[in-house]
Amino acid sequence: MFTRSDDKITSTQASIFLTDSVLGAGILTMPRAVVVAGETPDVWLSVLLGGLIVMVLIVVMVKLSQQFPEKTVFQYAGIVIGKVPAFILCWLLIIFFITIAGFEVRVLAEVTLFFLLEGTPMWATMIPFIWVSGYLLFGGLNATVRLFQLILPVSLFVLIVSYLLSIRIFEVDNLLPVLGDGLLPVFKGLKATVLIFAGFEVVMFLVAHMQHPEKAIKAMIAGISVPLAIYFFTIIFVIGGMSIDAILRSTWPTIDLLRSFEVAGLFFERLEFPFLVIWMMQLFCNFTCYFFGASLGISQLLRIKFRPVIFAMMPIIYLASVIPQDINDLFALGDIIGWSGIILFCLIPLPLSIIWLIRRKGLRQDA
Amino acid sequence: MWSKVIEYFPDWKAWMQAIVMTLIALGSYRIHGRLYKWGYNQPKQDGQQQGNSHQQGDGQPQNIAQQKVDGQQQGENQQQNDGQQPSDPWQQPQSQPSPQLTGNYDADMALIKEQLGNNSDVHFRDFRISIRNSRAVLIFVEGMQNEALINRQVMQNLMDNSFVKFEGYAMHNQSQAFAAYLKDKLLPISKISEVTDLYELEQSILFGFTALLIDGLPHALLVGEPAPKVRAINEPTSEALLRGPRIGFTEVLGENTALLRQHGRGADLELKMIEVGSRIKRNLVIAYMKEIVNKELLQEVEDRIANMNMDFISESGYVEQLIEDNWLSPFQQVQNTERPDRVISALLEGRIGILLDGTPFALIVPVTFSMLLQSPEDYYERWLPGSLLRTLRFFVAFLALMIPALYISFISFHPGLIPTELAITIIETRQGVPFPSLIEVLILEVSIEILREAGIRLPKPIGPAMGIVGGLIIGDAAVQAGIVSPILVIAVAVTAISSFAIPIYSAGITLRILRFSGMLFAATLGMFGTILFFLFICSHLTKLKSFGVPYITPASPYRFNDWKDLVLRAPVTLMKRRPSMLKPQDKKRRS
Repeated sequence: MFTRSDDKITSTQASIFLTDSVLGAGILTMPRAVVVAGETPDVWLSVLLGGLIVMVLIVVMVKLSQQFPEKTVFQYAGIVIGKVPAFILCWLLIIFFITIAGFEVRVLAEVTLFFLLEGTPMWATMIPFIWVSGYLLFGGLNATVRLFQLILPVSLFVLIVSYLLSIRIFEVDNLLPVLGDGLLPVFKGLKATVLIFAGFEVVMFLVAHMQHPEKAIKAMIAGISVPLAIYFFTIIFVIGGMSIDAILRSTWPTIDLLRSFEVAGLFFERLEFPFLVIWMMQLFCNFTCYFFGASLGISQLLRIKFRPVIFAMMPIIYLASVIPQDINDLFALGDIIGWSGIILFCLIPLPLSIIWLIRRKGLRQDA
Repeated sequence: MWSKVIEYFPDWKAWMQAIVMTLIALGSYRIHGRLYKWGYNQPKQDGQQQGNSHQQGDGQPQNIAQQKVDGQQQGENQQQNDGQQPSDPWQQPQSQPSPQLTGNYDADMALIKEQLGNNSDVHFRDFRISIRNSRAVLIFVEGMQNEALINRQVMQNLMDNSFVKFEGYAMHNQSQAFAAYLKDKLLPISKISEVTDLYELEQSILFGFTALLIDGLPHALLVGEPAPKVRAINEPTSEALLRGPRIGFTEVLGENTALLRQHGRGADLELKMIEVGSRIKRNLVIAYMKEIVNKELLQEVEDRIANMNMDFISESGYVEQLIEDNWLSPFQQVQNTERPDRVISALLEGRIGILLDGTPFALIVPVTFSMLLQSPEDYYERWLPGSLLRTLRFFVAFLALMIPALYISFISFHPGLIPTELAITIIETRQGVPFPSLIEVLILEVSIEILREAGIRLPKPIGPAMGIVGGLIIGDAAVQAGIVSPILVIAVAVTAISSFAIPIYSAGITLRILRFSGMLFAATLGMFGTILFFLFICSHLTKLKSFGVPYITPASPYRFNDWKDLVLRAPVTLMKRRPSMLKPQDKKRRS
């Protein structure tokens, strides 16, 4: 077939979608959140552990989704637990996506206003952003993912280069001693690190869109490994470059790290600028993932067309983004989102899997 | 609890903003949709016309429709038809058997003269054939036949009876035998054909054939081929190369197809001719490699060409605009080229070439973004220079698109992001400038565009002088007068030069247009606006398709095999496969 009529994505594209849906505002906020929770230089261990835990959760969701080929969670939930409970759970998921989308766009606005456009009204940054994202979504999942594919390699490149250049202020002492306070703070930090992977719930509708759903586990593990690696490097370099005490005093530790040294001879002396540019593009992808997820959910749940839903989602996401009144509210919201991600996992894929297993086992015995 | 909820409830301002924002989005979507439908007319209108005559399929709907009209009018107002629309009678033969030559010399002459006699450039040369002493006439359009050939090979032989030997043909003095004799012995011309269909005869005469009508023969003979006015084969002016063939297409389709054939022996190249244009017809050739091209792609191209509905296709630009996917996009979805080598190498990748009679510009479909930044030279040079130049062009495209936007956002919004010393220098030089940076950039950009446009129109000897006067003097004077800052002159000059470095002229224009919208984005939201602009362009590019191929393949979706020929140009030995995005039948270039 020369022109594809189905809106399916390849395994690589699925991985990238997952990467982009996890890798967002977290790069900026994560070091602070994790250090606050763990208060030890060993939190990088927590990040690794958190990543591993999330991988397990993802495997559960992929396995569940693979039982229902071509169906997203919004469609198969009803088959497993009946219409009404499924309806409620799916709405929870949609609200979750909307909240994250609002959160991301708000973080974007806060960072933009703080670093680039002081004095600009907030709506002026958020609204065009939502528009462009909506414009992208009109092209369908395929076009959307193609954009992600275009941007992700560049962002990864710039991120890694920025981190590597920060090696000149990197001090191993900041990371030592390893496990000086024992394992307990690591587990304390875990509480925060699982949260930074919030958004992995997209797996539940992503598998249905894959050309080869049987390869989903590999693709999804690959997809989550990239943000895990990036977060790992971020936390290592930020702690190594700034020490925990400095992180606790800073709002956006990652940017502060990049601001704290100069690279002579470049057009921009500080790396904060290219980093911000890339981060904004990354955040755009991230935001678009949730925009897509929420729109897809509503359109499948209420059986209406996709495009009108996108229009309906625009004001809703905007309103969700203006709810936090200041930056402290915003961080609180970030924590809430992280927790509700875990709760949602306990509410949706876990019971669904268990019930499905029981029902299938039961059916077999009947037969 | 409730008070807390109410406290966080968005205020009316936010609600208003949300509503207005949605309305604007909806509105622009509607406008875009309307606009798109409005301009995207061809297949839709065909569909309406076809509604009347369904079974005919999508062959040539315009003829079908006209045919119906003709059929109705035919009876009552034949004369009116003839008078008003001279081309309508040409259409009639399709609905009824066309008039044939009768064999009666006087009647046929009268018929032909009635149809063609009004044209001042149609000549009737009466003479007598010496051997039979029968009347004969040569009918031709002035200036379109090869006069020397007709004089020497036709007239001379027919009028001169010194060497007439009838041999076997003389035995029966019948018209058939005489015709055979004429063809076999008397007319030493390689291309000669018999015509009995009056409609066909007239059309051939008008197209430049010389017709020979002889008393007593049941048919006319087309003796001379049209000798159209031809330009010599020149080096293509719009795509000059340092290394590579210096041959460019000309205006004659036959020569252009010959140029393609001349590239080498091989039976793979297939040229399919199609007649386009409803009123004035022209030949169009679809060129492809029959064992490489994807059949579905070929079908799609043929369908779109058959769907073109235009009275006259005057240049391949018409074809391009009638078959492209998205007419609202600033990006071209069909590549045009004057270079036969470019077409051939595209065909070998599995693409399809479209050549139109009367224009030196051939089209290549489908096109991808990276093609616009590639030059045939990349392949002719060794891979290192090829890769380097190509990387440079990608960089240059970025510069041509973004420099003014970046200038505006840095100067007006974020002087703190550039190194302090540079910022101080720029601000010092800008001190006298009375305008905001957007206006400053616009002044210079617009004058550069004017210069460029004027430079094309000017006669060749004046062109460079104009460039010097315009570019150097105006630029310098503008700085002296304090209207613009010297840094900006550098920026704008680099932008202009960058857009010249893009190998495809029309792609350069696209970037020029987009540059202005980028400036507006930057002037409203600074760096954030520039990023949004970039994302917007990227979003558009990822959505765009050219004949079903995503526009920015292979960059995304990833086709790693095709990356050998994207920004870098891998050594020829490594490029073992054809681009997989085109899904060719034969995937390997070398084993």
